[in-house]
Amino acid sequence: MGAAPASRDVTSYGMGLAVPLALFFLVFFVAPLLQLLWLSLHNDTAALHWGLGQYLHFLTDPFSLSVLGSTLLLGAEVTAVCLVLGFPIAWLYQRVGPRLQTIIILIVLLPLLTSVVVRTFAWIVILGRQGIINATLQSLGIINTPLKLLYTQFGVVIALAQVQMPLMTLPLITALSRIDSNLDDASCSLGAGSWRTFFKIVLPLSLPGVIAGCTLTYAAAITAFITQSLIGGGQMLFMPMYLYQQASTLQNWPFASAISIIFLLAVLAVVSVFTTLGRMSRGYGGA
Amino acid sequence: MIMNRRSLMTTALTLGAMKAFPGLSFAQARPLVFATFTGSWEEAHKAVLVPAFRKANADAAIVLDPMLSVDQIAKVNAAKANPPIDVMLHDPGPALVAIGQDLVEPYPVEKSAYYKDLISEAQEPMGPAPFFQVVGLTYNPEAVKTPPTSWADLWKPEFKGRVGITNLNSTLGTGWLVEIAKMRGGSEANVDPGFKALEELKPNLAAVAANPGALATLFQQGQIDISPGNFNAIQILKARGVPVEFVAPKEGAIAFKTTIHIVKNSPNRELAFKLIEAALTPEVQTTLMNPPYLIVPTNSKVTMGGEIARVLAKDTAELKQKFVFQDWKKINEQRSAWIERFNREIKI
Repeated sequence: MGAAPASRDVTSYGMGLAVPLALFFLVFFVAPLLQLLWLSLHNDTAALHWGLGQYLHFLTDPFSLSVLGSTLLLGAEVTAVCLVLGFPIAWLYQRVGPRLQTIIILIVLLPLLTSVVVRTFAWIVILGRQGIINATLQSLGIINTPLKLLYTQFGVVIALAQVQMPLMTLPLITALSRIDSNLDDASCSLGAGSWRTFFKIVLPLSLPGVIAGCTLTYAAAITAFITQSLIGGGQMLFMPMYLYQQASTLQNWPFASAISIIFLLAVLAVVSVFTTLGRMSRGYGGA
Repeated sequence: MIMNRRSLMTTALTLGAMKAFPGLSFAQARPLVFATFTGSWEEAHKAVLVPAFRKANADAAIVLDPMLSVDQIAKVNAAKANPPIDVMLHDPGPALVAIGQDLVEPYPVEKSAYYKDLISEAQEPMGPAPFFQVVGLTYNPEAVKTPPTSWADLWKPEFKGRVGITNLNSTLGTGWLVEIAKMRGGSEANVDPGFKALEELKPNLAAVAANPGALATLFQQGQIDISPGNFNAIQILKARGVPVEFVAPKEGAIAFKTTIHIVKNSPNRELAFKLIEAALTPEVQTTLMNPPYLIVPTNSKVTMGGEIARVLAKDTAELKQKFVFQDWKKINEQRSAWIERFNREIKI
């Protein structure tokens, strides 16, 4: 405190301001994570014997690996659906007047204003045997017996895509609004058609938004415990439910910890692929 | 403010000490905390048990903190020396886990005025059973014209794609599998016949719900017409106008003891005992037996009435004869292996 103020480096303030958050993270995020890691390195549920048994059990068990695989695949499917359905909305947003823009934003944000549980229950009503889809198809005479939509992979993907859609659309809208509209005109005047303009100009420039949206949607979709278990049912096992089963029903905390760590690493791997793509796309967009 | 090493260390040590000795921050007395179950249990306990307890104990402060059995165990386990819960409520499986992990105190039987009136199955020295949960067959009377009479009816070809079950995460799912195994010559120690029977049930299965609550939704949505179901859950659906009926199968309805326990090291031991006593009184059990709660009583002084007398049992003697109690000590030994096997084998 005694040092002359003039001689102090002004940048040192930045560190001081970050300390509360850093401490918060240290106590409530890093410490529990380390505890989790510590617990996962034990072979017995009482956590007395050190060992890599839990990891070996998971990684050598085809069933556990298939649960991991199907969870990562589910995330990819949901992300793809969100991207394909979300991009046109974001694109449209750039090309309509301010009043319609407000409406679009409202529609995009609306799902975020209701709880995930409520949205998921709405999907049970829509996908059920006597639900909206089956009732409509039956009254039109297209099908005779109701289709099985609930408790299927298809149902989970569709419901998750709707539930997570804002996480895709919002970054896309931001990214698209940063693109100078003169570029479209320039491309047109140089003789490119709309599709060519889209693939050569709009899509590459919006890539940072696409990457951000994909990362958010992916992470949210694979960890969506509520939607996965309510729409998927008890026999479609994804990682969050597997974890819950081991931790809560079976009280096997070391194995549950190992599952969490493996899941965390798998998700980090996927997210880092996205980030690498994002970094490459920034170079591409700037060129 | 400049962060120097000393202030950083002080803060870190304080936070560390608070974590290491949680007693520091919770030194003052707290109200009695009763971890009941969520949903209809919470409603019933808030409306009947809590007022009865407060009336008998000079308006003592009590807080209901509803959560699943497994979460109660996890919470108490995380702070054994100073548990955040005083009274736990458990299904038979978790009750044995809690006892096995040394989380509960023996019930002061000699002090209790009501313990000796409980029917023998409900007299558990580590925590008595104030209520029974009963599992039988649930069906939609609009779709199923002849009421089912046996578990075996679920395999009838007419129910192709109409049967719902739950996975083994729940007490209901596990207890039902054991009962199916017994029907086919198995036991609590050998559920192989049960898994074989499940394999044969696959064509009839419309849904494997993640929990018993989800089964109720499936009835409402017409997704299933028949399933094993909890008597109380069905009464709630029925009261809301969903077409469902409950029937005790001829093999016997599966009865789960819901036991209530004093948590070890509870700072409110005496009040915890008083709350449990209140739950065992014939008055509270009679009120809870009547609509809208319809909870099966365990005190033999309670005269059965209403829907329970009609569908389940008229008196304690009939109840003992119609209910099947399972050996959860045996079940717990292998439950994790069964859950694993169910995960692998039951794909529809």
